[in-house]
Amino acid sequence: MDEKELIRRSQGGDGEAFGVLIERYKGKVFSLAYGFTRDRTAADDLAQEVFIKAYFSLPRFKAKSEFGTWLYRIAVNHAKDYLRKNRSRLRDVSIEDVGEQRLAAAEKSQEDIQSEEERRALVLGVLERLPEKYRTILTLRDIEGMSYEDISRILGLSPGTVDSRLHRARQKLRQRLMSNINLQGGNNGL
Amino acid sequence: MDCKKAERFLLRSYDTPSGPEEKAELRGHLEKCPACRKKDVEYRTILGLLRPGPVPEPLPYFRERLLARIREKEKEIPGLFGLKLAHRAVAFCLAVFFVFGVGILLFPPEETPELSQAERLFLQNENPLTETASLLNQNRAEDKNMMLIFASVDDRKAGRR
Repeated sequence: MDEKELIRRSQGGDGEAFGVLIERYKGKVFSLAYGFTRDRTAADDLAQEVFIKAYFSLPRFKAKSEFGTWLYRIAVNHAKDYLRKNRSRLRDVSIEDVGEQRLAAAEKSQEDIQSEEERRALVLGVLERLPEKYRTILTLRDIEGMSYEDISRILGLSPGTVDSRLHRARQKLRQRLMSNINLQGGNNGL
Repeated sequence: MDCKKAERFLLRSYDTPSGPEEKAELRGHLEKCPACRKKDVEYRTILGLLRPGPVPEPLPYFRERLLARIREKEKEIPGLFGLKLAHRAVAFCLAVFFVFGVGILLFPPEETPELSQAERLFLQNENPLTETASLLNQNRAEDKNMMLIFASVDDRKAGRR
């Protein structure tokens, strides 16, 4: 069924039509939520809340932008709220986190996998502590792989601002990472 | 090219392919500058680590759970909507009452002095003889007298005198 028709029917309260939209977008919304939370259960909950918010805001959706862009905007704003509320509960990067994120990759040795996951956990730990605007843009560009144009539409920023903010965010991430590593007295392969 | 500019070019090169001139300029700088070469390696490693490994699937029955939550919320919303509306109505009434009260305190209404009958007739541009015309038109003296008596009684009732 055509997306416009699905949206029109969902605006009228048709749960089945909205169900089809959920199926179409749940992967991307969940992935975005996971990029922010790094936790499957939290990402699942966040993605559900995004869809609930979207469903009740649908009557106000005027199709000025693509439905996907509109939905991502809701997702990003909701994720920002989540980050703000959970700032105090940021986890320290510990060996348990590394173990939790370890993924089996047959072609790599156990040692390689462990080392890579340790480094990834370190980078993500520092990313979590960056100011929200930098974290958001890094998540959209470097984790989700979105284009500048999409980021610009979702965040309501000019492409020039996206470019400069992204550069600043990467610089901040590298600087903090380096100072963290220096404090810990090693280079962790970075 | 200085290191600051080189860093800007480097960061841009991770997203969009640089032009041949920019590329050559950057390569030339990197060959001479070990600090920027190190930065390049660090950035590439960080970006590589940020790129996600496999993203897990949402928890099972995502759609079913979501639709159930929406149905639950739909039941709650009319009540919430009514409550919200009531709060707004109370706030609106208070605001109107306050504005009205302040208005009356600041600008008390002026009491208009009562106009005399002559002034009223003059302002309304009326003929003072129209009311008495029917009286004056009476031919018989007793009719005229009776009408004068009734008119004076009516006037007294209306508090004119």
